Amino acid sequence: MSVAAADYAPPATPFSERLKNPAWLLVPAAVFLAFIYLLPVIDLVRISMSGSTPWVHFERVFAVPLYWEALVRTMQISLTVAFLCLVFGYPTALLIHRSRGITQMLIATAIILPYFIAILIRTYAWMVLLGRNGPINKLLQWLGILDEPAQLLFNRGSVLLGMTAVLLPLMVLSIYSSVSRLDPGLTRAAQASGAGPIATFWRVLLPLTAPGMGAGFLLVFVTALGFFITPTLLGGPGDQMFAMHITQQADFVSSEGFLQALAVVLLVITLVVVAVAGRFLGFEFIWGGGKLTEVHDEPKDSVDGTTVNTAPRRTFAMIVADAIGWPILRVLSALPGWTGTLTVRAMGGFVIAALIVPIIVVMIISFSKASFLTFPPPGWSFRWYEKFFTDSQWIAAFTSSLTIAVISSAMAVTLGGCAAMGIVRSTIKGKTILMLLLVSPVIVPPVVLGLSLYSLFLRFDLVGTIGGLAAAHAIGGLPIVVVIVAAALQGVDTRLEQAASVHGASPLTVFRTVTLPAIAPGLAAAAFFAFLHSFDELVLSLFLSSANLQTLPLRLWADVNYQLNPVLAVVSTLEVLLVVGGIILSRPVLARSRAA
Amino acid sequence: MTILLRRSLLAASIAVTALTAGAVGPVWAQSKEVIMQDPGGAYGEALREVMFDPFEKETGIKVVTVQEARSGPRIKAQVEAGRTEWDQVFIFDQETKLLGDCCLEQIDYSKLDESAQKTLASMPENLRRPNGVALQVIGIGLAFNTEKFDGDAAPQNWADFWNIEKFPGNRCLPAWPRFVFEAALMADGVAKEDLYPVDMERALKKIAEIKPHVSKWWTTSAQAPQLLLDGEADMCMAYTGRINSLVMNEGAPVDLNWNQGFVYYDFFSIPKGAPNMENSLKLLSWRLDAERAAELTTQYPVALPSPLVFEAADPEVSRLWANNPENLAKAVEWSPEFWGAPSPDGRSTNEEYGQEKLNALLAQ
Repeated sequence: MSVAAADYAPPATPFSERLKNPAWLLVPAAVFLAFIYLLPVIDLVRISMSGSTPWVHFERVFAVPLYWEALVRTMQISLTVAFLCLVFGYPTALLIHRSRGITQMLIATAIILPYFIAILIRTYAWMVLLGRNGPINKLLQWLGILDEPAQLLFNRGSVLLGMTAVLLPLMVLSIYSSVSRLDPGLTRAAQASGAGPIATFWRVLLPLTAPGMGAGFLLVFVTALGFFITPTLLGGPGDQMFAMHITQQADFVSSEGFLQALAVVLLVITLVVVAVAGRFLGFEFIWGGGKLTEVHDEPKDSVDGTTVNTAPRRTFAMIVADAIGWPILRVLSALPGWTGTLTVRAMGGFVIAALIVPIIVVMIISFSKASFLTFPPPGWSFRWYEKFFTDSQWIAAFTSSLTIAVISSAMAVTLGGCAAMGIVRSTIKGKTILMLLLVSPVIVPPVVLGLSLYSLFLRFDLVGTIGGLAAAHAIGGLPIVVVIVAAALQGVDTRLEQAASVHGASPLTVFRTVTLPAIAPGLAAAAFFAFLHSFDELVLSLFLSSANLQTLPLRLWADVNYQLNPVLAVVSTLEVLLVVGGIILSRPVLARSRAA
Repeated sequence: MTILLRRSLLAASIAVTALTAGAVGPVWAQSKEVIMQDPGGAYGEALREVMFDPFEKETGIKVVTVQEARSGPRIKAQVEAGRTEWDQVFIFDQETKLLGDCCLEQIDYSKLDESAQKTLASMPENLRRPNGVALQVIGIGLAFNTEKFDGDAAPQNWADFWNIEKFPGNRCLPAWPRFVFEAALMADGVAKEDLYPVDMERALKKIAEIKPHVSKWWTTSAQAPQLLLDGEADMCMAYTGRINSLVMNEGAPVDLNWNQGFVYYDFFSIPKGAPNMENSLKLLSWRLDAERAAELTTQYPVALPSPLVFEAADPEVSRLWANNPENLAKAVEWSPEFWGAPSPDGRSTNEEYGQEKLNALLAQ
């Protein structure tokens, strides 16, 4: 294979050799994941089968209708949430794409900002918004729509609303990543060829962004399957989700084995959903639709059957979709042209309001005088700010969260960056499977992962250590890095690398002068998201922290459970300021990298 | 080729170093400290102020607290793995038996100081067991919004709680079988002496009646007071400690009725292999001092069950205690034995069995 390349650079290690065999770059990530991710999950399965017979605990899961029904309910809720996210997320992603300059930055910030804020706080903000004395009830009464406050909380509607709001950024970013990759020339070409805006949307925009939509839908659905914080706080008794049963069972001394069986069932269901979806849609959808095998034009690259099969299947799907969707759109085309833009703006505006208003409400509450969270505050004071800054435990939690997030991000970027190089630049077989393994921590419910890691951490004395927690967080950070860096690498023209190497550059020089500058924005984004993932991580920390090591989300969780006071709001206000500051500071860097 | 390999090996070794460095950390750190499970919230703050801070000042031993509502399963996991982290925990009555053999240290009471011995001697035998001592009496009662129900219109018992016509408004209840099943049976006319063994089917039938009026089935202690203050519920089954601290310290429009309430004890135990055993015993001595225990209740009305503490306390404060004789007389003698016993189907305990049944009803 390397004979041709060897003609050009015979004496040194041929660059093409490295180019074709970088599979070893996958080894560190593989070892890391095997030890801290696969091993504990296997152990979890073992414990779940450690009863008098291997199936005794599973029999109980399915003998009691409660658990079976909770599974069905969990599926229903997750599907609805994914659908709602899609409906509202798509126009929002388009809105970001179409706006320019400061508007675009503001909208993007409105979507990304909630990402920084713990799910717990955003959920609680919704409790305040929807409460009997909350702003929405007050507004409706003031408008004369309601005579007395309505019960907006603790029902299926509030769970769906809360979960949709929490997961929307995931969907928007997923779709936006495929929208932004669109060649603007395509839409212009379509319009130049006489297609109206609707035809352009249907024939060009929609098919090209379908991978992003599919990925977003799947990610939201799978994440929703493992949710428990939001349904616990916003739901009524009829909204018990499966992960809530796991946390509830963790309270019982005698439930060992059964507890693990519940976790295994949730894990298996999740994997089955992903497997079925992957069978029909191709597993590439999980990491955003980037087709690994079609990037370089080397013929030996198409290894797995999935990508080969997708093309005809999508065509068939398009025929079906055309038969149903096209007539509807024809009817819609009778409307004046500006309605489309208006719809996008109205829905996008609604989404932005739904994401931003809770944050503003929480910021207002941070200045409340009352010791319970009520809105509007009965009086104003700085007492909760004073409390936060004078409380050594809050400050300690903040510091350890920061430390853990930095270490975790470094680990994820190192391991994930290498792995991404390995997977994109190698020609090894089974890339889809490898990528699936690297990305799979994203789809494993955190409750399951936390439970399985707990016994591993106890055995190796890692409970409550900064390194241990950072490593655990890196399990989830790694997929983020792999996906982002792999996407960045695919954007690098390999011929540039080859050209540099042909002209005598050493592999390191090639990497430093060609590859690295090209993927630098991707790496920075990856590091940033890995940092965030760790900084806001709650569920794993719940299982793996100790008395001596409290993280910020853990303190928040404790406060929501034991004393609902406005310190929560203070923390989230400070987080918002931190994030806004971070974005403003990093703007010059981002702009420069974009220009380059 | 090798440069990149070396780079990634370097990275891997950095990662490994970070891991091991982190792992070694806490081993040196354990010298002058004691790790204590903490109930959190307003109670946790009162403990910090009255108990832990002065203890640190006096002994130089740092009290590290970890907020955890229920420690049983974690103690078991830690002890079985041979990695005990905690020096002192509080557990349910039945857990001193369920965890007694596997996971709890026998407390050497002779090592406690004089004032602690005195308090211990005044306590009923059942509350100072070889592997745990009751340091807090917890009450569960009928709490209500006084702006909605006042004076003669206040609810008197669980039958009133279930009576939606006479006492219209939303309710809130814990999402557990314990206390809720008993309250339902009393609302259904069962005398408080005849509650055990609990007729679960009958209780569930009665719970189904109130279910449409329950706005929230709460799971943590802060939720019930919050729901009352927010107006999401007008009448709740709630922990008496937090409700009383709201009445006492904030003048909130809530009150509670002790009639047919529940009283139980939290047992303080030392897990096997506790890293700072000596310090844990010192802290136990500190907390068992009657004067200090009485002072704690001025901040948060949850008391230590000893006549000495009761004598040391201001009657204005002790009237709010769950173990005040007046309140005790109205309350139900709650049976942890029943809930810790094996369930009818033999698969778990009565508590877990009841929880499954209750969840199934609530999910409908």
